[in-house]
Amino acid sequence: MQETTPAPRNPTVSEKLRRLIISQEGVLFLIMLASVLFLATRTDKFLTVDNLLQQGRFMTEIGLIAIPMTYIIITGGIDLSVGSILGLAAIVLGWTWQELGFPLELAIITAIISGTVAGFVNGLFIVRVGVPPLIMTLATLALYRGLAEGISEARSARGYPEWFFQLGQGEFLGIPTQLWLLIFAVIIFGIVLARTRLGRALYAIGNNETGARFSGLTVNRHLLFIYTFSGFMSAVAGYIFVSRVSTTRSDMGTGMELDVIAAVVLGGTSIFGGAGSVPGTIIGVVLIQLLKNGLVLAGVTSDATIVVIGSVLIFAILVNNFIQSRRGEG
Amino acid sequence: MTDALLELRGIDKRFPGVRALKDAQFDVRPGEVHALIGENGAGKSTLIKIVSGVYQPDSGEIMLDGAQVEFGNPRESHSAGIATIYQELGLYPELSVAENIFMGHAPTRKRLGFNTIDWEAMEAEAEALLAELNIHNLDVGAMVGTLNVGNRQRVEIAKALSLDARILIMDEPTAALTESDVEQLFSIVRLLRERGVSIIYISHRLNEVFELADRVTVLRDGEYIGTKNVAETDEAELISMMVGRTIKNLFPKQAAHIGEVVLEARKLNRPPLTRDISFSVRAGEIVGLAGLVGSGRSETAQVIFGVLPAESGEIRLNGQAVRITRPSEAVDYGIGYVPEDRGHQGLIREMTIRENTSMAVLESVSSRSFISRAKERALANGAIRQLSIRATGPDQIANKLSGGNQQKVVVSKWLASSPKLLIMDEPTRGIDVGAKAEIHRLMSRLAAQDGLAILMISSELPEILAMSDRILVMREGRLVGEFTREEATQENIAHAMMSEEARQAAGAAL
Ligand SMILES: Nc1ncnc2c1ncn2[C@@H]1O[C@H](COP(=O)(O)OP(=O)(O)OP(=O)(O)O)[C@@H](O)[C@H]1O
Ligand SMILES: [Mg+2]
Repeated sequence: MQETTPAPRNPTVSEKLRRLIISQEGVLFLIMLASVLFLATRTDKFLTVDNLLQQGRFMTEIGLIAIPMTYIIITGGIDLSVGSILGLAAIVLGWTWQELGFPLELAIITAIISGTVAGFVNGLFIVRVGVPPLIMTLATLALYRGLAEGISEARSARGYPEWFFQLGQGEFLGIPTQLWLLIFAVIIFGIVLARTRLGRALYAIGNNETGARFSGLTVNRHLLFIYTFSGFMSAVAGYIFVSRVSTTRSDMGTGMELDVIAAVVLGGTSIFGGAGSVPGTIIGVVLIQLLKNGLVLAGVTSDATIVVIGSVLIFAILVNNFIQSRRGEG
Repeated sequence: MTDALLELRGIDKRFPGVRALKDAQFDVRPGEVHALIGENGAGKSTLIKIVSGVYQPDSGEIMLDGAQVEFGNPRESHSAGIATIYQELGLYPELSVAENIFMGHAPTRKRLGFNTIDWEAMEAEAEALLAELNIHNLDVGAMVGTLNVGNRQRVEIAKALSLDARILIMDEPTAALTESDVEQLFSIVRLLRERGVSIIYISHRLNEVFELADRVTVLRDGEYIGTKNVAETDEAELISMMVGRTIKNLFPKQAAHIGEVVLEARKLNRPPLTRDISFSVRAGEIVGLAGLVGSGRSETAQVIFGVLPAESGEIRLNGQAVRITRPSEAVDYGIGYVPEDRGHQGLIREMTIRENTSMAVLESVSSRSFISRAKERALANGAIRQLSIRATGPDQIANKLSGGNQQKVVVSKWLASSPKLLIMDEPTRGIDVGAKAEIHRLMSRLAAQDGLAILMISSELPEILAMSDRILVMREGRLVGEFTREEATQENIAHAMMSEEARQAAGAAL
C-alpha cells in the first residue's frame, strides 16, 4: 500500500490554459466577448471608449453590492434587502443634510453607518434567532424601504454642492471616479475570498455548515460579518448613486436586488452555496450591463432586452452545469 | 462456475487518476454469505456499485442467472432483485423513518380516483419490518435526522429488506454498531440466508467474516487476489492476501507516563443523554469510553466540545474552569474532536484533502490572514504519507476517496491541530487492518511522547480493551462503570454496558 500514492504532478502550461478556458469564468468571458463583438456589428455607438466608460459608471453600484452578495450566496444565504438599504442610505444622507442640518461629510458618514447597521440587524436575526436569510431579508426589504419612505415623506433632496458630485460624475485619469472604487474593491475582496482564511471559511460554511462548525470555525461570526458588510457596501453604493444622479429619492434602488443576484449567479456562484468567485461575479455584472446598453443602442425594445438577458442567464447556467458534471467525472 | 447466481468477469473501472478495478472477478451462489475484503481503496465499494448499477464497468461482463445483464442505473439493479446498503448512508434526514424505508415504493391506495400514499399502511409495514429486525424502540414517525448513526443504519437495513431482494449487498454495515447490535444484525443475515437470499458482505472486521461468511474474496489494488472457503482459511492468510505482508501487532500500545489531569468533567448535565457525568483524563492517558449505541457517549463528547453546551456542571482544563459554548472555543482551548459521522460532521466532502486537513489549523498555515497553499500542501502530503491515504494527491476532492480513506483524512485533520486533549469518536471506523494499526501506533506515541490526553469512544471492545489505560462505561446517559486496564475484561465491560438491555427486555415482557 506504500506505492499506491502517485507523486503529485504539476500541471503543464497548456493544461493550465485549458483549465482556465473551461472554467466558469473562462466560458463566461467568451460569452461576453462574443456579445460585445455581435453588438458592435449592430450599432457603431456601442463599441466606443466613451460609451463603455459611461457603462462602467452605471454598473458601479450593482458591482459594489454584488461583491458581498457573492460572499453571502457562497455561504448558501441570500440578501434581498440590498436595494432597500441603498434607498435608506440615500434618504438618510439627504435628510440629515437638508432637514437636520448636518455638514454634508457627516451626513455621508451617517448614511453609511445606517446602511451598515441595517445589514448588521439582518445578520443578527439570521445568526441569533435563526431566521432563514430569505425570510429575514424579504422582511427587511419591505421594512427598510418603508423606513426610507417614512423619513423622506415623499420629498426629494437636491442642491448638493459641487464637490459632492466628484464621485458620481467626475473622472480621475480619464476614468469615471467610482469605477476606480469598483476596481479597487474587486481586487481587494477578490483576493480576500480566494486567498484568506475568511474566504476559506465562507466556502466551508456553504458546502457543509455542520462540518465547518465541527472544525472549530466561527460560523456565526462569519455570517454576521458578511451581512453587515453587505449593508455597508449597499450604503456606499447609495452614496455613489445620489452623487451620480444629483438628487435623493426614496425609491432609489428598487428592484436592484434582482439585478445583483442575477449577476452573481450568472458569474457562476452556486445558489446552493459552496462555489463562486468575485472575478466571475464581475464578469456577470459587466455582461448584463453591456447587453442592456448594447441592445438598447441597437434599437431593441426593453421588453425584448429582458428576454435576451434571461436567455443568456439560462444558457450560462446550462454551460456551468455541464462543466460541473464533467468535472465530477473528470 | 455454473452454480453462480451472480457472476462478474474481467471487470475494469477507471476513475481519473486511478484504476479502481483491474480485471476483477467475483461470484455469488444462491443462499450464501460471500464476504468481500481488502484494504481501504482496494475497490470493494466500486465493485458493488457496479453490481448495483451506480457505476458501469469500462469492460467486463455481469451474468445473472447465467444470462448477461447490464445495469444502466440503480433502478434496473433493484428490479433484478438486488438491494444495496451503501457505505455512506443515503437516507433523507428531513423525512421520517417510515418514509425513508418506503422511498420510491410506498404502499398506495386509491382516493378520489388518484393513487395516493397509504400512510397508515406504510407506518404499519415499516413497524413490521423493524420488528423483523428485532427493533422495537424505534419510532417510525421520527425524523431520520434526529437518529444516531446506529439507528440510521437499521433504517437502511429495513429499507433494503422492504425490497424483497434476492441479493442483499451490505457495505460495512457493522462499522457503526456495537457488539450486541452486531449480533442482532447477524441473526437477521442468517435468517435471510435461510430464506435463500444471497448476501455480499463487506467488512474490515475479520472476525465477522469468520463468524458469518461461507466464502471470502480478497481484492488488493483493484485486482482479484483470490476466493477462499472460510472454513479452509485463517486470519493470517487473509491479512497477507489483503496487504501483501503480515501485520504483527494490531494494537501497539506503549506504556505511557501518566501525568497531570488535563480534562476534568464535574457533574456535566445535558439531558437526556448526558446526566451527571464526572470523570477525568490525564496527560499521556488513553481513556476508553464504552457503551451501546445511544448510551450518550457521542453526546457527552459533544458537550465537552461545545456542540451541545452543558446545561450545568463544570469543565476544567489543566485545573482551570472553562466555559465552552461552541466548538471554536473548544478548539482554542486545545481540544480536538474526531466526530462519529464523517460525511456530515467530520469532512467537508466537496472540498479537497488539502482544504480538509488544514480546516482546524488554518491559523498555523497562514501568515497574517493569507493561507499558504504550500504549507497546506505539505501538511496534506504528510497526512497522505503517514496514514497511507490512497489518493491522487492533496488536491483530490474528499468525496472521491474510498470510505476508509475519508476517515483517515478526518483523523489527520485533528492530529494536525496538535491538541492537548483529543476526543476520538469511533476513530478507526471503516479503516483497514494496516491503517488501523498505524492509527493505534500514532495514538500511543502521541500519548506516550507528547503527553496527549485521549478520550476514545469505540464500539469495538477489543480496541477499547487493548488501547485504553482506563475504561469508562456509559448507559442511558450516565456513567455506570470504571475499570482500570488490569481489571477490564470483555465480559465485565459488556456486562456493564448491557444490563440496560436486560432491564428493557424484562420491562417489555411485563
Ligand atoms: N467517484 C470516484 N471518483 C474518483 N475516484 C474514485 C471514485 N470512487 C472511488 N474512487 C477511487 O477508487 C478506488 C477504490 O475505491 P473504493 O471506494 O472502491 O474502495 P473500497 O475498497 O471500498 O475502500 P474502503 O474500505 O475505504 O471503503 C480508490 O482509490 C478511490 O479513491
Ligand atoms: Mg468502501
